[in-house]
Amino acid sequence: MVDKKNNLKFKTKNVSVFYGSKQAINKISLDIEEKQITALIGPSGCGKSTFLRCLNRMNDVISNCSVNGKILLDGNNIYSDEIDPVLLRAKVGMVFQKPNPFPKSIFENIAYGPRIHGIGNNRAELTDLVHHSLEQAGLIDEVKDRLDDIATGLSGGQQQRICIARAIAVNPDVILMDEPCSALDPIATAKIEELMSSLSKSYTIIIVTHSMQQAGRVSQKTAFFHMGDLIEYGETPKIFTQPDQQKTQDYITGRFG
Amino acid sequence: MIDKNIDQLKRLKLRKNAEMRLKVYGILSISLALIMLATLMISIGLSGYSALQQAYVKLEINVDSKKVLDEKGGFSNQKALLVNWDGIVSNSFITNFPEITKRSEKRSLRALMSSNAGYELRQYFQKNPDDLDENITIWLSASDDFDQYMKGRFNTSVDEKDRRLSNQQLKWIDFLAMEKISKLKFNTSFFVNADSREPESAGILGAVVGSTLTLTITILFALPLAVMASVYLEYFAKPGRLTDFIEVNINNLAAIPSIVFGLLGLSVFLGFFGLPRSAPLVGGLCLGLMTIPTIIIASRASIRAVPPSIKDAALALGASRMQAALHHVLPLAAPGILTGTIIGMAQALGETAPLLMIGMVAFIIETPDSFTSAATAMPVQIFMWSDSAERAFYERSSLAILFLVGFLIIMNSLAVFLRRKFEKKW
Ligand SMILES: Nc1ncnc2c1ncn2[C@@H]1O[C@H](COP(=O)(O)OP(=O)(O)OP(=O)(O)O)[C@@H](O)[C@H]1O
Ligand SMILES: [Mg+2]
Repeated sequence: MVDKKNNLKFKTKNVSVFYGSKQAINKISLDIEEKQITALIGPSGCGKSTFLRCLNRMNDVISNCSVNGKILLDGNNIYSDEIDPVLLRAKVGMVFQKPNPFPKSIFENIAYGPRIHGIGNNRAELTDLVHHSLEQAGLIDEVKDRLDDIATGLSGGQQQRICIARAIAVNPDVILMDEPCSALDPIATAKIEELMSSLSKSYTIIIVTHSMQQAGRVSQKTAFFHMGDLIEYGETPKIFTQPDQQKTQDYITGRFG
Repeated sequence: MIDKNIDQLKRLKLRKNAEMRLKVYGILSISLALIMLATLMISIGLSGYSALQQAYVKLEINVDSKKVLDEKGGFSNQKALLVNWDGIVSNSFITNFPEITKRSEKRSLRALMSSNAGYELRQYFQKNPDDLDENITIWLSASDDFDQYMKGRFNTSVDEKDRRLSNQQLKWIDFLAMEKISKLKFNTSFFVNADSREPESAGILGAVVGSTLTLTITILFALPLAVMASVYLEYFAKPGRLTDFIEVNINNLAAIPSIVFGLLGLSVFLGFFGLPRSAPLVGGLCLGLMTIPTIIIASRASIRAVPPSIKDAALALGASRMQAALHHVLPLAAPGILTGTIIGMAQALGETAPLLMIGMVAFIIETPDSFTSAATAMPVQIFMWSDSAERAFYERSSLAILFLVGFLIIMNSLAVFLRRKFEKKW
């Protein structure tokens, strides 16, 4: 059931992904609402990352990966020939499991995306953009005096927020996050979760997480995957308190996974 | 405390012994390699160091300026051609032995001076025309046999008929040395001249310049091609039969004997494109073909060593594959690519066979001044000198080997240095 008061951002129809002849996910149909946080949960190897990577076509890079089905972003099929994956990825940003800042200065990290997309033509505009992105990522106070320092010298949590700021800087509609906190300590995790909630006012966020608590804390909707199938999808409180499916119940109570 | 029973103690001891043995073997083999290297370098050094010096003879000379200057007072090459410089040298040389009058004796006396001494004299006046009409003292090269005898490298135990110097000539040399008229002095000509028929005026400079020009072409040709090929193979090539075929053949190419590249150069660059023979341009292209697989293999390895997360980060920001490769991966892979390149260059520097095929083995007395002028390279020069009959060439080839090894050491240290300097941690 589609909630009428929210606009749909993504609509996937029967999406199946194969690595060679091995099927990773099977006919996933999922509607993702705008300016909300959607969590994808499920045991390891169930295809969460695979599904997430379909949404910005990062699967294209994997040579033996093939995607069937339809994925609509604002009503347009992102796998149609007219869509350039490079432009799509400017609209749909991604944050990875392990913080992966470029081994360059903090400034260069944030400015890189805008530069290749021709946003911020002069130095002043670019500086503004960098400051604004760092501010949104809640990092500005920590790094404003050392924008020329190398980003890989920051702490893990700061690096991850650099990656978020870097994704924001190209002004995307959607931010995909694949276990963004799994390499971080609880305090850094709390900061990122806080950040996600504030970002969800302006961005659609889809997050893969292994932490049930995290999904419960931050997301409005949760999808439970198992062995490549979408088992259940719904409002987060409902999934965590009274799921319809036995498998979901077993997973969230920790009986397997 | 950990309780150890007899059995465990026994096994512990066995393991420690095995480790010990392995360590000893390792040290032994490294020492053996070092000893062999040292022996090689020392024996080359011992036979080559004497080439740093050269026998010169002191002559008193006065040349009439009218013979060589034109009306404006400048040095006239045309007039200088007509002057018997060799005669001036021998006449001055013979004055050291006033008692000698017989023609045959005079001839064998004259043979003690280098046949290039007259040329050296002419060069001197061309540079210093003010010294004309003056009585000057000048040191000119002695012949190579003279030189070898003064260095104690002339075998006098051979029967006189079979020697290149007679007993009489040896006595004269002894006399000149005793009177300090002849002396061993630093061998400048080795460092400023190109090749020559006379060992005393043969130098390495021509070959060094030839090698430099050749390697310049090699790097300009091989590095961009190899890097582009590696980026293509790593990032763009669709896996499949064709890509596999190309991969296998690049590895095969790296194993092909270098002379084959010379044959290829001969038939393609000289035969088909009609490029000039003996030219650094062609040599550089042949060596470049030989070096490309080495650089490709090194580049691909270092491109692959860059964490894929960096590439993913760039792609996820909407960079194209080309941008991800150029902006992020190549800069990080650069130290490895550079190291591979320098090692490939060092290999090319020491390569002789392909150069022989395209005529860079010619006897060339001019230091090359362009990519298309005839040239030799250092290893070829060594090859030619070590093939010559004169003893004096033998010591020069040893010195040239030291030179070449020095170059290689410099290049390899450069590789290590660059690697340290540009390596980034993440
Ligand atoms: N590049 C690949 N090539 C081949 N198979 C892959 C590839 N990536 C993933 N798979 C397979 O696809 C299935 C789904 O993988 P995916 O990474 O999407 O799982 P996941 O739910 O993200 O797991 P995790 O929670 O451990 O990250 C797995 O069985 C995995 O082995
Ligand atoms: Mg995953």
